[in-house]
Amino acid sequence: MKHSTLARLIVACAVVAAAVTPVAAQGADPKAELARLKPKDFPTQPIEFTVVYPAGGGMDVAARLLAKYVEKWSGDRIIVNNRTGGAGMVGHAYLATQAKPDGYTVGALANLVWGDAMLRAQGRWAYTDLEPIAYVNSDALIWVGPTEGPYKGMSVKDIVQAAKDKPGTIRIATVPGSMWEYLVDQIEANSGAKFLRVPFQGGGAGITALVGGNVDVAQGFYSEFRGHLEAGKVRPLAVASAARMDFLKDMPTFNETFGGSDYLWQVIRYAIVPKGTPADRKAYLAAAVQIAMKDPELVAEYEKTGAYFDPKLAGSKDLAHDLGEYAEREREFYRKTGRLK
Amino acid sequence: MMFERALNAFWILLGAATAAYAWSLGIVGPSGPDSGLFPLIAAIIIMAAGLILLLRPNPLVASQFPRGAALGRILGVIAGLAVMAIGMPYLGFAVTGAITMMILLRTVERTSLSGSIALALASVAAVVWLFDHMLGMVLPRGPWGF
Amino acid sequence: MHELEGLMAGFGVILTAQNLYLCFLGSLIGTLVGVLPGVGPLAALALLLPVTFTLSPVGGMVMLASIFYGAMYGGSTTSILLNIPGEAASVVTCIDGHQMARQGRAGAALGIAAIGSFIAGTLGVIVMTFFAPLIAAAAIRFGPPENFALMVLGLVCTLFMISGSTVKGVLMVALGFLTAAVGIDVVNGHERFTFGSVNLSGGIELLAVVIGLFGVTEVLANVEEMVQSTVLAERIRGLWPTLADWRDSWRAMLRGSGLGFVLGLVPGGGPVTASFMSYAVERRISAHPERFGKGAIEGVAGPEAANNAAVAGSLIPVLSLGIPSNPVTALLLGALVIQGIQPGPLFVAQRPDLFWGIVASMYVGNVFLLMLNLPLVGLWAQLLRIPYRVLFPIVLLLSIVGTYSANKNVFDLWVMLGFGIAGYVLRKLDYDLAPFVIAFVLAPLLEQSLRQSLAMSPDGAVILIQRPVAALLLAVSAAIVVLMFRRTARIPGGDQ
Repeated sequence: MKHSTLARLIVACAVVAAAVTPVAAQGADPKAELARLKPKDFPTQPIEFTVVYPAGGGMDVAARLLAKYVEKWSGDRIIVNNRTGGAGMVGHAYLATQAKPDGYTVGALANLVWGDAMLRAQGRWAYTDLEPIAYVNSDALIWVGPTEGPYKGMSVKDIVQAAKDKPGTIRIATVPGSMWEYLVDQIEANSGAKFLRVPFQGGGAGITALVGGNVDVAQGFYSEFRGHLEAGKVRPLAVASAARMDFLKDMPTFNETFGGSDYLWQVIRYAIVPKGTPADRKAYLAAAVQIAMKDPELVAEYEKTGAYFDPKLAGSKDLAHDLGEYAEREREFYRKTGRLK
Repeated sequence: MMFERALNAFWILLGAATAAYAWSLGIVGPSGPDSGLFPLIAAIIIMAAGLILLLRPNPLVASQFPRGAALGRILGVIAGLAVMAIGMPYLGFAVTGAITMMILLRTVERTSLSGSIALALASVAAVVWLFDHMLGMVLPRGPWGF
Repeated sequence: MHELEGLMAGFGVILTAQNLYLCFLGSLIGTLVGVLPGVGPLAALALLLPVTFTLSPVGGMVMLASIFYGAMYGGSTTSILLNIPGEAASVVTCIDGHQMARQGRAGAALGIAAIGSFIAGTLGVIVMTFFAPLIAAAAIRFGPPENFALMVLGLVCTLFMISGSTVKGVLMVALGFLTAAVGIDVVNGHERFTFGSVNLSGGIELLAVVIGLFGVTEVLANVEEMVQSTVLAERIRGLWPTLADWRDSWRAMLRGSGLGFVLGLVPGGGPVTASFMSYAVERRISAHPERFGKGAIEGVAGPEAANNAAVAGSLIPVLSLGIPSNPVTALLLGALVIQGIQPGPLFVAQRPDLFWGIVASMYVGNVFLLMLNLPLVGLWAQLLRIPYRVLFPIVLLLSIVGTYSANKNVFDLWVMLGFGIAGYVLRKLDYDLAPFVIAFVLAPLLEQSLRQSLAMSPDGAVILIQRPVAALLLAVSAAIVVLMFRRTARIPGGDQ
């Protein structure tokens, strides 16, 4: 494994327990394919995977898994770098305006960058300054409810009805300024319900509050509440995606429960390079990530974290265009709700 | 003493300006305090404290501010750190670090020129080795690849 | 007993050559990381995370955990010897620790810091062993009102730390609140005091503030006088604490352990808050508070014990519930997730080997760290023979790297420099800088918890009294404030 000296020291003296993993049959040998695409003199130094969120979080975990497999297939050294601050804003601005487009910086981003670009960038950069090279995975927002207390056992429809009958009493955890808030906005606007919003810094904190009895409904991703689910402390209510999730088949989608098609809120993770990266390096990086994404081990690891693969994006022939569609739909939402003039 | 009065006046001004800004952020919102409340309270406290300190008759501080050689040394340290912040994105850590080390070592004249150069290069090399190679943290590289 | 069985099984898991090696290596790295100013366990863990892919889950977690608490051992070294904190959690150790060093008692200070860390760490693990599920169940009930009350208590304790002019101290606290407000308001997503700057929208980095206020400021002050060396190496008499030192500090160690452990459990607590509060408590309780700031050994023993106990405390929510209470434990959680393990309430039952392996490793790790740190005292003492004119540039270089390591953003270097200059000026004018830092640390959670509490309560502020724990903590805070007024009325300390 190619890493810092210290890392090599650690591994060398420690017994490596990993079994030799069989190379998956992927048609033409992908490593050879990648070698063919490799530009001359590239890379001569480690490639940075920039993550704009703190180490250990969902995006970081996804990026590190990706880096591990990209290293495996390409043989290049990848270093994951957390450029944190401002709920991602600092890192996004760095990637869009400061990062050198020389192929040594790859951004592991989530679609939350669109919100930053449209609402907070103040015209200094647009999401199109970041060119997508490969789709990674998606994570849909899920509502979870308690297993104790007055609202246990209620379905999502019942809870929304209760929020309508007794406005301002049902406490829901939100994260202001992003999709957690938008989903609640949508539900309230379409059903006339009124929740009592309790702000948190992230979905995980809200789920903690739910387990502790401090809120009645929490919103988060599967990886954030799976442990509690298995211990019977929370109960999944509904998911904001187009289709039901494989790992929670009994959980309905918001669309089917409320008869809409707009309740779609997920984190879409994808890799980008800054605009202006030379075409051959961009193609090489794109191929490397895409080949890593086909590794069945990586797919399995992602599925274990509760992520799923959006069929439209996974099979996309023009990722920039397809992602752009999602982005523009979000822009529409902002216009409709008055957040964007 | 002059300086202390200036500082106290500064606190009052800072408090006032911040209070005005905090007011513009909004004090009370739909569910209790809004963005501006805590900053407003803090700003008022700063203003009040500055006022109390300004009006107090006896100065407690008898310290001197640096002059001459001492001031030179202090400015030297500040300059070294500023060079680091300005130069690192363009020249990379290694080169800027070496320059900064030179400034810091030479700001105290007793370190000889050759000694300074040697120490600067050695220490930067050691730091780069420790962090970049041993621990794996990427320090910015300059246009020369290091 | 069930827990003892688990613990024995855990020892069985960890007493293999590989795992012991990893525990030792982690302790070594942790100590090193603690000594280096600015580089903290978070940066080190983020860097070494990829390594854990090739290790077994137990091995990887043992290594990462030992780096975390190892850093709490090493952090006091530069604090005591150079008055420059190695960690944000070692800032208070500078206050009395460095004074002790100036009096030629650096060895005793370093020794007590190491031993206090060991006692606290071990006690913390013992409590973890037997009471983890109980504590976890209680910790999860801690909601915004309780957090708010706890932060208020911390803030009140801060007021005790103010040495010198009370007015100036309160001003520093208010300034700390203001500086903490820079960035995005968590509660409603609005930007505050950012003036359009992307860098400011991220808020001001704690590490940059700490290194600036205590590292750069210290260097500026020393360079002004052109000291030969801050602590004369020859004056280090006796590298070990005396019996008198033991007598004075053992109680502080125990108090610090208890306080630190509890504060490690709650979000927004953690080693930094624990060390500050322990210092404040020691000063409050002491029969001779005027000794503090002049080399009182309790001022080293208490906080150093507290920050180590806080590590053990903070591991309980993450291992027993899957809930991280600070960024480091969030990273440990991520490390487990990457290995395909989902920590949660069932973690102990599903992976007893992992849970008990980690717990057992903490006993071993603390021993390793004691063995590492005590002999190192002699080594560090020798380091002081380096003339200051050579030492300070190296320390500054390391500080630069350390500060940069937080966010990889050059802007933090400017913050560090800015706070360094400001700290220098303020120190000259007799302002105490520690209250600024603790206010800066506490303010965000205090404000957030209050607004969350009000948001979740249909009846408004009443919720703070309705919840028993919150009400109790607030009552204690109020009582302390009252006592504080009465005390300062009697004792001529500071000036009003």
